Amino acid sequence: MAGLELKQLRKNYGKVEVIKGIDLTIEHGEFVVFVGPSGCGKSTLLRMIAGLEDISGGELRIGDKVVNAVEPRDRGIAMVFQSYALYPHMTVYDNVGFGLKLARTPKEVRDQKIREAARILQMEHLLDRKPSQLSGGQRQRVAIGRAIVRQPEVFLFDEPLSNLDAALRVDMRMEISKLHNDLGATMIYVTHDQVEAMTLADKIVVLDGGVVQQVGAPIELYQRPANLFVAGFIGSPKMNFVSVSADSVSGDIATVSGPDVVGVPVTLPSRKVAPGDKLTLGVRPHDLVVAASGSIVGRVGLVERLGNETIVNLELPSGASWLAVLEGDQALKRGESLALDVDPAKALLFDDAGQAIPR
Amino acid sequence: MSASTMAGSPGQTETRAIKRSPYPGWFFTPAAIVYTVLFLAPTFASLYFSLTRWTLFDATFIGLDNFAQFLREPFLIKGLINTVIYAVVTSGLKVVVGLLLAVMLTSQIVARGYLRSVIFFPVLVSTVGVGITFTVLMHPTQGMINEGLAIFGITGPGWLTDPNLALYSVALVDVWKGVGLATVIYIAGLVAIPRDYYEAARIDGATPWQNFWYVTLPLCRPATSTVITLSFIGGLRTFDLIWAMTKGGPGFASDTIASVIYKQYQAGFYGLSTAGNVVLFILIAVLVVPLTMFLNRKQGHE
Amino acid sequence: MKKRASIIGGAAAIAATFVVFVIPFIFIVLMAFKDRQQSALRDFSWPTGFHLWENVFEVVKTRNWMMITAFINSSIITVVSVTLLVIFAAMVGYVLARRRTRWNGLIEFLILAGLMVPPAVVPTIWLLQGLKLFGTLHGMILVEVAYNLPFSIILYRAFVSTIPRDLDEAAIIDGARPLDVFFRVVLPLLWPVTVTNIVVQSVGIFNDFTNPLYYLPGNANATVQLTLYNFQSQFSTAYNLLFTNILLITIPPLLVFLFFNRQIVAGMTAGAVKG
Ligand SMILES: Nc1ncnc2c1ncn2[C@@H]1O[C@H](COP(=O)(O)OP(=O)(O)OP(=O)(O)O)[C@@H](O)[C@H]1O
Ligand SMILES: [Mg+2]
Repeated sequence: MAGLELKQLRKNYGKVEVIKGIDLTIEHGEFVVFVGPSGCGKSTLLRMIAGLEDISGGELRIGDKVVNAVEPRDRGIAMVFQSYALYPHMTVYDNVGFGLKLARTPKEVRDQKIREAARILQMEHLLDRKPSQLSGGQRQRVAIGRAIVRQPEVFLFDEPLSNLDAALRVDMRMEISKLHNDLGATMIYVTHDQVEAMTLADKIVVLDGGVVQQVGAPIELYQRPANLFVAGFIGSPKMNFVSVSADSVSGDIATVSGPDVVGVPVTLPSRKVAPGDKLTLGVRPHDLVVAASGSIVGRVGLVERLGNETIVNLELPSGASWLAVLEGDQALKRGESLALDVDPAKALLFDDAGQAIPR
Repeated sequence: MSASTMAGSPGQTETRAIKRSPYPGWFFTPAAIVYTVLFLAPTFASLYFSLTRWTLFDATFIGLDNFAQFLREPFLIKGLINTVIYAVVTSGLKVVVGLLLAVMLTSQIVARGYLRSVIFFPVLVSTVGVGITFTVLMHPTQGMINEGLAIFGITGPGWLTDPNLALYSVALVDVWKGVGLATVIYIAGLVAIPRDYYEAARIDGATPWQNFWYVTLPLCRPATSTVITLSFIGGLRTFDLIWAMTKGGPGFASDTIASVIYKQYQAGFYGLSTAGNVVLFILIAVLVVPLTMFLNRKQGHE
Repeated sequence: MKKRASIIGGAAAIAATFVVFVIPFIFIVLMAFKDRQQSALRDFSWPTGFHLWENVFEVVKTRNWMMITAFINSSIITVVSVTLLVIFAAMVGYVLARRRTRWNGLIEFLILAGLMVPPAVVPTIWLLQGLKLFGTLHGMILVEVAYNLPFSIILYRAFVSTIPRDLDEAAIIDGARPLDVFFRVVLPLLWPVTVTNIVVQSVGIFNDFTNPLYYLPGNANATVQLTLYNFQSQFSTAYNLLFTNILLITIPPLLVFLFFNRQIVAGMTAGAVKG
């Protein structure tokens, strides 16, 4: 019912353009997460959807209505802020009910809705308190409660959990996920946290420099990043990169070599590579395995033995530094030489414009 | 399915939203009307009327005559000089005394609350009341001040009757009334100085005097600058205390521009009075603007 | 050892400030208790009899109960102009802090100018006459508002910028219209600075002498400060009455001081530490 459609959406502050023409379709009931480095425009985009920032160009539809010039209150949205933004002079009850009061909802209906929201969020015992008497997690619940009672078609979250400690963050994350299932509303969620993005999202939108880099399901972004930026941004630890050129292409396999690697095979059914092409090879640290005859050889630097896995810093011949996460416990010594291999189906290639070469 | 979008040329689809700002511009209106009509308009009008001979009903343009008269008449020049003396003396004393009191009140002294209240309270008292009280206290023969001095064998001066002293006596009362404000401003500035500086200075073996000179004084400069600016402008504009105590007398000995403005107004010389206003305005601009620039200049290396 | 120094220093400070700052007030009180004869000596002596109530009564009924009229006038002027000041200045300070436009520079300049530039009195009188407001309480109130706006606006603007903008935005999302945002969310949060404003401006306006002297000539609309000033000549031989009058008009600021000491100091020192 209330999906969203962004068409060439733009925002500039004076001469500076921060959102540079974004096209995006969000289906009704989808959980969409915006990720990207700090300053890339995530909050700005979310606030444009909320109606808190004017739209400089393009078109925004919520449901089937163009809402560029519609006031926030008429957009059918609710927003949860990073700072919670609870009204300090009102009790929790009044905080949650403020929107209803402004809409002149009758007192009984209002009361019933507030209590319903409080029940869903298990904060009935907090209703008479002021925000200053609440813990961080409780404040966040109130902020979410305030959004729920408005029964919006679209929920907007701007880094709602980043002020909470790690354990609480996990709890609240699950609760938001549950809320999404129960309410079936569209949710748009901005975060810095990869785990939040991967676990919550139906669809992740990766932004950089005010431009959408890629849109897709979490696992798709992980396995098939569209470009170097997404490849480097999604996944932790970060993907390893090295410049190579194509040696040969035979069948589904391209073989690449470079100053640091010799003859690494990469599965590439689309055969979009010709010998001699300048490319970048990307390998996730988790995809590297020890192999005596490995095509990637480096000198062991710092070794972190965590028991279940071993994280190795590897210095390649050109001086580039790679990270490998190896299965089990590996007793490696600093300075020794280590040969690694990668499953051809898991290695990625990017052209010299940074775009992934499709499989 | 992955989409990667490259930026097109910016601003091709300008659909300027016609949403209203949540911060309504008309919130300025009530204040703007009152301020414009009763402050800005008269201020601009004064620029014209200062060039006229004016009866409130009609004004004859006489060019700079009023200003010429200001610079010719000895008693008007006297007023000009007195104004500057008064402002310099009061603001200077308020800085020195205010800072000393503030240093005292932020130290480990007993009865801080009492001292602070006692020093601050005169700020809130009616200036006319203070003026009248001190006129009585400063009476040359029957005033309590000179009677008190007589106990120690000192013959007190005619505080308000000696033409050479009257202006300074009023200035002294001004300091008495206003030093509390300077003190609380300095206290706010002093408590904002991080303790670390004093601790670092102590490790360096600084004496209390060095502490004051090299730590306190430079670091409370914002407060100094506020005190000087406030009391200097206040001093240049002072009217009520002078009027309540001496009415500019004896003779014209303690006249300031503000009292001259009032006297000319009473005498019906409206053009001249308004010219006095403009002179005061110029005086403030000429003295205060460089002063604040000097006070707020970037601090060089010590 | 250090403690003893501080006690001695404290005692000296108490003695000195007592002589300089407290004795004048004790003098006022003593004078107000004396009869006419004793007060004529103008010395620091114990009253020979208790004449305070007589004195108060006499002061109040002088010139046809002028004192009462004056207190009423002063109260009206103070209450109304402070009310207007608070509302107008809060509105301006709020929008000025929140909305960046190219007018902000000009507005800030005008505010600073208002703090520095002495009012042009005669043109103001001329204008008030034109508006039929000269010599009226209405006119006086508007003048007080105009002259004191800059200070109040500065206090409000500084305070508004400490209130997170997220709150406004949360309210907007909740469906608040601009007036709702201001009156229901921001204004209640401005309460501390509003108290400061009320207290500081009330004291200032109640004690104002110069402006009523110019803009409220005549007896009908005299304020307490004007009345005191006029009594000075009338009571030149009755110091007990003169000082009773001073005592009476010192009571309102004293009450304010006792109850709102903290807010006054906060308001008057605002802006001193930053920079
Ligand atoms: N009012 C403004 N005026 C000018 N530039 C602005 C303004 N607000 C934001 N920007 C700029 O727009 C860009 C995007 O900001 P935005 O807050 O959307 O980033 P973000 O992706 O949310 O970052 P973060 O992850 O740090 O929250 C930034 O470069 C920022 O400097
Ligand atoms: Mg952000």
